[in-house]
Amino acid sequence: MKGVSRLWITVIALFSFLCVILLTPTFMGDKLPSWWGKVFSSKGISLGLDLEGGIFLLLGVETEEGIEQEMLIVEEALVSKFREGRILVKNSSVSDGTLTIGLFPGADMDKALEIARDEFEEVADINSEGFLVRLSIKPSYVDELEQNSIERVRHIIENRVKDFGLVEPSIQKSGDDRILVQVPGASKKDRQRIVNLIKKTAVLEFKIVRAVGASRENLVAATESENEKQVREKGLAIHEGDTGNQNERFFLTERLASVTGEYISDARITFDNYGNPAVGFTFRGEGASKFGKLTESNIGERLAIVLDGVIKSAPTIQDKITYQGTITGTFTPEEAKDLALILRSGSLPVPVRVEQERTVGPSLGQDSIEKGRFSMIVGGILVLVFMVFFYRLQGVVANAALVLNILFIMGFLSAFGVTLTLPGIAGLVLTLGMAVDGNIIIFERIKEELVAGKTAVHSIETGYARSVWTILDANVTTLLTALILFWLGTGPIKGFAATLSIGIVSTVFSNLIVARVFTNMLYRDKKLTEVSI
Amino acid sequence: MRIIGKLNYDFVDKMGGAMRISIALAVISIASLLYHQGPNWGVEFTGGTEIHIKLAKSLETNVLKGELAESGFPSESVQRFGLPGDNEHLIQFAPELATFDQIGDFQKSLEDLFAESENFQGASIQRIDYIGPRVGKELITKALLSILIACVGILGYLVLRFEFGFAVGAVIALIHDTLITVGAISLADKEFTLAIVAALLTVIGYSVNDTIVIFDRIRENMGNFPEKGFRELVNDGISQTLSRTLLTAITVFIVLVPLFFLGGSVIHDFAFTLMVGVIIGTYSSVFVASAFVVYWRKRKETI
Repeated sequence: MKGVSRLWITVIALFSFLCVILLTPTFMGDKLPSWWGKVFSSKGISLGLDLEGGIFLLLGVETEEGIEQEMLIVEEALVSKFREGRILVKNSSVSDGTLTIGLFPGADMDKALEIARDEFEEVADINSEGFLVRLSIKPSYVDELEQNSIERVRHIIENRVKDFGLVEPSIQKSGDDRILVQVPGASKKDRQRIVNLIKKTAVLEFKIVRAVGASRENLVAATESENEKQVREKGLAIHEGDTGNQNERFFLTERLASVTGEYISDARITFDNYGNPAVGFTFRGEGASKFGKLTESNIGERLAIVLDGVIKSAPTIQDKITYQGTITGTFTPEEAKDLALILRSGSLPVPVRVEQERTVGPSLGQDSIEKGRFSMIVGGILVLVFMVFFYRLQGVVANAALVLNILFIMGFLSAFGVTLTLPGIAGLVLTLGMAVDGNIIIFERIKEELVAGKTAVHSIETGYARSVWTILDANVTTLLTALILFWLGTGPIKGFAATLSIGIVSTVFSNLIVARVFTNMLYRDKKLTEVSI
Repeated sequence: MRIIGKLNYDFVDKMGGAMRISIALAVISIASLLYHQGPNWGVEFTGGTEIHIKLAKSLETNVLKGELAESGFPSESVQRFGLPGDNEHLIQFAPELATFDQIGDFQKSLEDLFAESENFQGASIQRIDYIGPRVGKELITKALLSILIACVGILGYLVLRFEFGFAVGAVIALIHDTLITVGAISLADKEFTLAIVAALLTVIGYSVNDTIVIFDRIRENMGNFPEKGFRELVNDGISQTLSRTLLTAITVFIVLVPLFFLGGSVIHDFAFTLMVGVIIGTYSSVFVASAFVVYWRKRKETI
């Protein structure tokens, strides 16, 4: 028998020691001594939401709206530039990222194009046709805008969720245009609040009220228009009211707000004169002076406080206000608290929509862990028993290798920070079954050699040597599918693929190296005449 | 101890008969898929909402659906989940029945129902899943794409390591296994979820793994005994690896059985898929993959 390789023994011992240290936090949990975290990592295997319970939200960012908004800004700027240059604008419209401005016949087209190019050549492709000037937004600028708004949305949502005071939420960009929010441990009760917190665009506007009505139609008629489109063309807008007063269902205001929530520096829950919850806010710099100007010139008028298009309250302006204001309305204390939080974090530049949600109750998570663990222990014990029953002493060798294999897999899961999900546990259990396959291939080969009349030493040597490529070929293909899953998969599937990949690599190592070293150790000092297999 | 001693069984002789079985199984699978109008796509793929509830006592799905309808729940379907004793059910809403903003209301009225109705005493909401239409479509594409790429990747690796005919044989076997396993899922009327796709990919991995061990032996025999006929070489290869083929299938089965019965409702279908896949995958390594190699050799020699 060949001697035992010192090198491999050292490697195996080192790996085992490392994995034990990596796994200690997972098994000790809170009982970990305080000095542990200073010397080693105190982070164990992290559990997925399906095991721990919590909320998972995949948000799509409506970047198209951001582009639309951007083009509206361009429209406003360009039309006023044309006016300054005494070019008569007949009409203008924005659709699908293209701004079309119609000029009156006889307009100086060269001059118009020059103005447009001066201002917007970097962001749009500019051309003309007859007396039309067309600006199509450049794809590169669209990308820039999209990435920009996604990053801002992510940042704002992160602030909101963290401010809410939940344990270790994670907010990441997912794919090209999505944001993944994971809040472990959140209960079903928190669900609605968290969803509201995230989804609320929170555009706060201050507008002067022109008229109040019981229905939209009344207000449309009051402006001598036929429909709401015409109302908008007159620079006015109709908003739904949520002020608690049944007679004031709809409000007519100007279309564009002169002051918005972007200037808010702080917001907090407070109470109105009747002791009802309300939200107090503070303006900073420019906002304060704008707000002062607006209130000063409209004393006696009503000021509408519009949140995401709905009027929350419309108090009468008594005096000039600069820095401080209060939004009253029909809030519960919780709602007022959340609104203050949202206003502090700022409004989302573009709306978000929920593409996917998964809320797992903690009891299901607990149940899954317990059942997963139990079925794993049962499956593991059955395999161990089966191997000893079938392969005697070599079965014990295989079992020792299997136990170390599990230790390595768990250790690496912890080291790579792989999140263990339910399919991941299933993958782990499956690995248990597949792990002994390599041993079986080798042992069957050894048996064959023995039956063919070869000596014990020769049989073991040949058994291992001839099986190396079989085992590698067989596992490379499985690894290939696991890696494809990892690449294409999302969420729980990615966890499964990661677990499977680590499992395969560790299994090949334990089949070809660990089991071999153990076999050699077993027969080291004996003159081998018989193999217990 | 050996489960199978020296064998002189003529596997190649039985391949014609096996082919009929395979074709029959494939036809049944396709028929079931046609009858059920494709796989019973889970909510992850179709979009919509799924609420997973656990009851304290056993309740017929019809009764459950009736009670839900009465309390203003326009559910599309209610189905049992996991083992019968688990008393777990999935309530599904089609995308047009429930928008994301309605889920909060559904959750509330469901909790009210649990508090009021006697049938629902002790019931609880375990999980709420909402999938928007865009994500659903993407997931279907990704799932099919991942299976396709896995097949191509495996074919590529096998062409590198074996003769072309072997590679094609292995891929035909894995398509055979995937089709029949999907057929079994369809026959059992189980939901086709993302976890099932993961299970199918694992089945593919297992099937190829199994096939390669046999092929490897056939190839080795081809080098050692060039004087033997191909048919004999294949028979030898299968016989020599047969005890390994069966033993590995048994050990994998040993861990799948506890997973199936004890692993909890969520893992249940996953384990079912793997159990079917392991049986079919083991069978196909001998009777589909190896059979194709024999056929391919014969054709090459006659040309």
